[in-house]
Amino acid sequence: MIKKLFNNFVAIFIFCFFAMIGSVLAPIAVSAATNTLAQSKTNSQLEKVAPGELLPVSVKLSNFGGGVKVDVYIKYSITNNQGGEIYSTSDTVAVETTANFTKNLQVPSDIAAGTYIAKTSIIYQGQLTSASSQFTFIVENKILGVFQSDFFLYAGIAVAAGAVLIILTRLFIRRVRLTRFTPLDYRNVPADDRVFYEILSDSIMQMRNHVGDSAIIIAANIKGLNIDEKTGRVLGFTDNPSKVIANLVSEYEKQLGKKVSFSLLRDKIE
Amino acid sequence: MAKQRKILVIEDDKSLRGAIVDVLRLKNFLPLEASNGQEGLGMALAEHPDLILLDLLMPVMNGMEALKKIRENEWGKNVPVIVLTVRSATDEKLIEDITSLRPAYYLIKSDWKIHDVVKKIDKILSGKE
Repeated sequence: MIKKLFNNFVAIFIFCFFAMIGSVLAPIAVSAATNTLAQSKTNSQLEKVAPGELLPVSVKLSNFGGGVKVDVYIKYSITNNQGGEIYSTSDTVAVETTANFTKNLQVPSDIAAGTYIAKTSIIYQGQLTSASSQFTFIVENKILGVFQSDFFLYAGIAVAAGAVLIILTRLFIRRVRLTRFTPLDYRNVPADDRVFYEILSDSIMQMRNHVGDSAIIIAANIKGLNIDEKTGRVLGFTDNPSKVIANLVSEYEKQLGKKVSFSLLRDKIE
Repeated sequence: MAKQRKILVIEDDKSLRGAIVDVLRLKNFLPLEASNGQEGLGMALAEHPDLILLDLLMPVMNGMEALKKIRENEWGKNVPVIVLTVRSATDEKLIEDITSLRPAYYLIKSDWKIHDVVKKIDKILSGKE
């Protein structure tokens, strides 16, 4: 009686079948009767696993046979695209109503990179045809713990970001240099005095180029010299300009140990 | 073929003068040499170089004296001069001379490589500066 009932009404369904990689779920919904071929639907985004890692497979079995416990034989296998079996293992599970569990399949460490199929089949007593479900996954080597394709993607992004950073930094430095070291224009100064302004300005900028803003501080403390302490622009002098220049050059030599060169070719500033 | 530009090098240090002359030749200039201010003055007035490279501290006649006399000559009023010296412009009189005699550059030898000085010569003569 029970056996008849069992044969006619018991149905074991692989209700839900997931491949889990880390926290990502790739659901493959399977609805299979015990004596019919499984229908499967796989997610188009394939999961990746490295050689030697575990491939977690989530299995849910439901017994619609009226509460009668059934021993179900489950076979797990990994096959290549040509159908060659790379790995297989099996379990026997007693199912009364439902059974949910995760099975970790050991991906062989010597497996070649490529696309593979993980297949789960169930057989229980008296059934001639197995129900099965399968999904496709990718085996890919890792570099420094990151999948090869991801590694190259991240490396590419890092190189591109580095290049952009270098270009921006150079542009910034160039802008700063242009701003700080472009000769200042003194065409508004009367022609007789202009050469003194230009020599002073040249000397300050040259020293600023060598030692930074301390050149401006030194210049600001030269008696008889009035400068803009932000830009180094010469605003005027209250002493003999030749004496002011000589004092400035002397101070630079004394305090910074550097002699000063300068240009007197400033008439062509555009 | 473009005319070679004459550059008069007035420098008492023979080895430095020779090195400058060699680089000028390499850059297709026609270098002229003088070992002191007086010799340089004579050569400048006779040869009318396109540019003068002038040391300041020299025997017989110093560079600033030679430059004064060059500027007194009609031809020499506007000839570009680059002063190349070890002497820092720390005295008032020297600054007055520089501002009145108007060399294009006052360069401290220790801060400049010969090639960079020649680049400045090239720029001045090509009108870029």
